[in-house]
Amino acid sequence: MEDFELLRYVTVGQYLPGDSLVHRLDPRTKLSVFLFLVLAVTFSTSYTANGILVTATLLLVLLAGVPLGYILGGLKPAVPLIVILAVLQLLFYGEAYTPYGLENRTLFQWGWIHVTNGSVQLVVVSMLRFVELLFLTSLLTNTTPLTDLTHGLEAMLRPFRRFGLPSHELSLVATIALRFVPLLAEQLEIIMKAQASRGADIAYGGRLGFVRTARQVAVLIVPLFVDAFRRAEDLILAMQARCYVGGRGRSSYVRLKFARVDAGAYLVGGLFSLAILALRNTFPV
Amino acid sequence: MEDERLSVRKIVIAGVLSAIAILLGSTRLGFIPVPTPAANATIMHVPAIVGGVLEGWVVGGIVGTIFGLFSFIQAEVPMFKDPLVAILPRIFIGIAAFLGYRALRRLSAPWMLLFAAILLGLAAVFAYDVGQSSLWLAALVAVLSLAGIGVLVYLILKGESDVASLAVAAALGTMTNTGLVLGMGVLRGYMAPNVAWVVAVSHGIPEIIVAAIITVAVVVTWKRVETGRGEARM
Repeated sequence: MEDFELLRYVTVGQYLPGDSLVHRLDPRTKLSVFLFLVLAVTFSTSYTANGILVTATLLLVLLAGVPLGYILGGLKPAVPLIVILAVLQLLFYGEAYTPYGLENRTLFQWGWIHVTNGSVQLVVVSMLRFVELLFLTSLLTNTTPLTDLTHGLEAMLRPFRRFGLPSHELSLVATIALRFVPLLAEQLEIIMKAQASRGADIAYGGRLGFVRTARQVAVLIVPLFVDAFRRAEDLILAMQARCYVGGRGRSSYVRLKFARVDAGAYLVGGLFSLAILALRNTFPV
Repeated sequence: MEDERLSVRKIVIAGVLSAIAILLGSTRLGFIPVPTPAANATIMHVPAIVGGVLEGWVVGGIVGTIFGLFSFIQAEVPMFKDPLVAILPRIFIGIAAFLGYRALRRLSAPWMLLFAAILLGLAAVFAYDVGQSSLWLAALVAVLSLAGIGVLVYLILKGESDVASLAVAAALGTMTNTGLVLGMGVLRGYMAPNVAWVVAVSHGIPEIIVAAIITVAVVVTWKRVETGRGEARM
């Protein structure tokens, strides 16, 4: 493993600063509208619904000022794989899928290969759905710093405390995870360099030697886990020493403000998703 | 010290294990090349297994969910960009590992051997079933299961029942991951069922072996470190 600089690969949902309408929304609004729209996308199987959704999400991305090239550029290495999987879907899934709004007509059949109306729709809808979800995730993660997202998540889960859901504790898990990722990446670099300087050659044993590769990876992973657990024990002790008692009755330094644009976004997002979901079986095609 | 269902210890360990899962997914370390169609066995689900085994089903479930969320965000292929495929199945990885470990941990050696015999029987039935449609696949299943169960029996006879339970827990967690993810993939129309079967068997078994090796290494080392330190806990 020649490459020791791991820190640069670790970008969980890169935040792109900006001043668009979407950037200024409360994180709770963004999380909720994201959820509504993901639901609408996940359960829409018709051409029409997906056409509407892909246009809507595209407009939102443009509104947020996120460069399309940035979103789609990350896909470049995966394009051959996507194409291969789409072709497999097209050629082999024909018989099992009943298409929406069309009768299942065979377009081409030869041996194993069985292309139908259904498989064409499946491939097109999967692609559209993929693009919609790409845009939606980008909308959420590129316009909101992750710490804002965890605050938003905690605020939204807070009403469920009375049912026993530990909202503060869960958002603390997310915060700790995010905080530890760069720390552990640095530690992993140190471990890799240390092992390399001791002559441990992490040359992958080729595809057949995967047991050997697994053991070599274990040489890196096990010290990483042990280091992570040590830091965890320190953190646990520190929290207990400061009498951390969980989220009951806890107030927050960061206050989320709900503005009129948020109410508007909730309304539009909610009604739109509801409409798509309610009408999902009544579209023409 | 207030100990609700999510004690301080569980919160921190869930957070740290999730960080490792995210790190494994972001760097090349999470992918181990294997000679199968899918090209890489992944170990990104191992933190969820470790969480389930060490701290219980809640921590295992949380780490699995965060792994699923991260996998959904990072996904570059339509199948994994689907939340029902990427997130929902992953919740159960840590829970399955927890159940397997808890169930087996208390068994003494003779019962463990009985369990291994049952596994052998199940593997034989499964290989026969697969053999109906594809002979080479059945041979692969037979050889790999025999090897795996052989290792288990060896461990049990050597007195390392705990290690054997860890390996089974890791196998259960990995099977949950592979099985449920591919199952959802088929249900949602991304893969034909027979393609999914081939991938599951040919890809899943090396992944189980890799996950078992890494889980055992991590948990055994951690237990040794933990008892070695002899730290007092409040």
